[in-house]
Amino acid sequence: MPALNAGIQVRERHTKHWDPKFKKLRKLKVQKVKLPDFREDDNISELTPDQIRSRMKEQGLLPPRSWMERPITISATGSVFEPYIPPEGDGKLSSLTLGGAKQSMEFLSKKSKSMLAVRKIRSFEDNFSPSTFAEEAQDIYIKAHKALAEKDYDTLHQCVTELCFPLMTDDLKMCTTRWQFLKSLEPPRVVHARCTDVINKENIFSQVTVRFHTQQTLAVYDRFGRLLYGSEVVAKDVLEYVVFEKHLANSYGLWRIHEKIIPDWMPVREPGRKTYVQQKPVVETEPVADSAVPATPTEQSAAVA
Amino acid sequence: MPYTPPNGPRKWPTYNKKIFAPQLPGEERRPAYVCHMRTNIKYSPFKMWYVASMIRGMSVDEAVKQLSFVNKQGAVHVKEVLLEAQKLAVEKHNVEFKSNLWVAESFATKGLVMKGVRRHAKGRVGLVHYFHTHYFVRLEEGSPPEHFFFETAPKTTKTLLSEWVDEMRQRRIPGSL
Repeated sequence: MPALNAGIQVRERHTKHWDPKFKKLRKLKVQKVKLPDFREDDNISELTPDQIRSRMKEQGLLPPRSWMERPITISATGSVFEPYIPPEGDGKLSSLTLGGAKQSMEFLSKKSKSMLAVRKIRSFEDNFSPSTFAEEAQDIYIKAHKALAEKDYDTLHQCVTELCFPLMTDDLKMCTTRWQFLKSLEPPRVVHARCTDVINKENIFSQVTVRFHTQQTLAVYDRFGRLLYGSEVVAKDVLEYVVFEKHLANSYGLWRIHEKIIPDWMPVREPGRKTYVQQKPVVETEPVADSAVPATPTEQSAAVA
Repeated sequence: MPYTPPNGPRKWPTYNKKIFAPQLPGEERRPAYVCHMRTNIKYSPFKMWYVASMIRGMSVDEAVKQLSFVNKQGAVHVKEVLLEAQKLAVEKHNVEFKSNLWVAESFATKGLVMKGVRRHAKGRVGLVHYFHTHYFVRLEEGSPPEHFFFETAPKTTKTLLSEWVDEMRQRRIPGSL
């Protein structure tokens, strides 16, 4: 129940002067002071354009310019182009079985497009080889995750692209993360490589997908140090397809983590220990069909006609 | 996060940014809390004190219920701040049930004071103070403590005995040496 007359002055018989002329005179004795309104921004999103306009006029502000010129730097692409499609059941089949042997035979050499891309990378980076790059990629992967756990964002920017950075950091800003890399179950290997040019022909970006099969531990604690996800002692096998990107045209370019490919067949991951109130689904009420003729002829009415 | 003016209270919202060390498996679960405030309310801080003090140690639902029946403008503001804080706790600070919160801290301080002038007789002037108030609240997870105030806690037999002994020893014979 709201407070009905909160802050409203109540006039009773005994508080009212019989002649109201003095009221005006008393009012004149007080100098008018314009008090600042600190609550005016509370419902700023509900203001109509006209209200905003009148307020800006009152404050003597000019409207913002309709066009805006800003210099931008493209240091990373916004997506994964021609993403790698991981074979089903990868990481489950042993290399001794027939299916497993087939998968392990599916090497980079089979894929002509990837070979072309590797050749393109080599034209910028002389000693690039997929086998040595896989090792290098693992170091970047470990460095990035350590930096994320320590919230060392300067180092993290060296290891992940601008696309990946918010994906990695946004949910963990108020959390404590304990991450450990235990061992590599299978040596990391390059499974896919692509190159693309942005704006002009010389401005080349390359993306290389590396398959990691590793063992890690992960524990995420919330702001109050309470366990939210995972465990510090339970080791988990992790199969990941990580896309690394490098701006080849930039002589100071670095190989950085760009995105992760999550295949459809991957089992759903264990959710965090957090509960929510389930939102009621919004049911859109359909307008009741009016028996009168609609203002604009619909397809149906046109067909009838 | 409420808007923090350049000259207003800045420390209170920063308590929401503190990150605690992870707890060990056997440790008691640390209660979550949320700090919230509303600055420069056009209301007297001296009147706000009564409203702020009233809800200390109550559960959130109880406090909101009680404030609904307080016939003061300050109570309207305090109620709004409480509901905002409750929403923040659930959405941002990992509190599972919105009713499982209690008012751990609630106080009001003096904000901006504008001064005006009022005419008096014989060419004299009087000063009019236009007070503003800051209101602060901290909600903590869990049910409210049974005896939030020391005075309301029932006395144990031990304290009763020591009080009685003190009382006996403080007896004096009037007019004696």
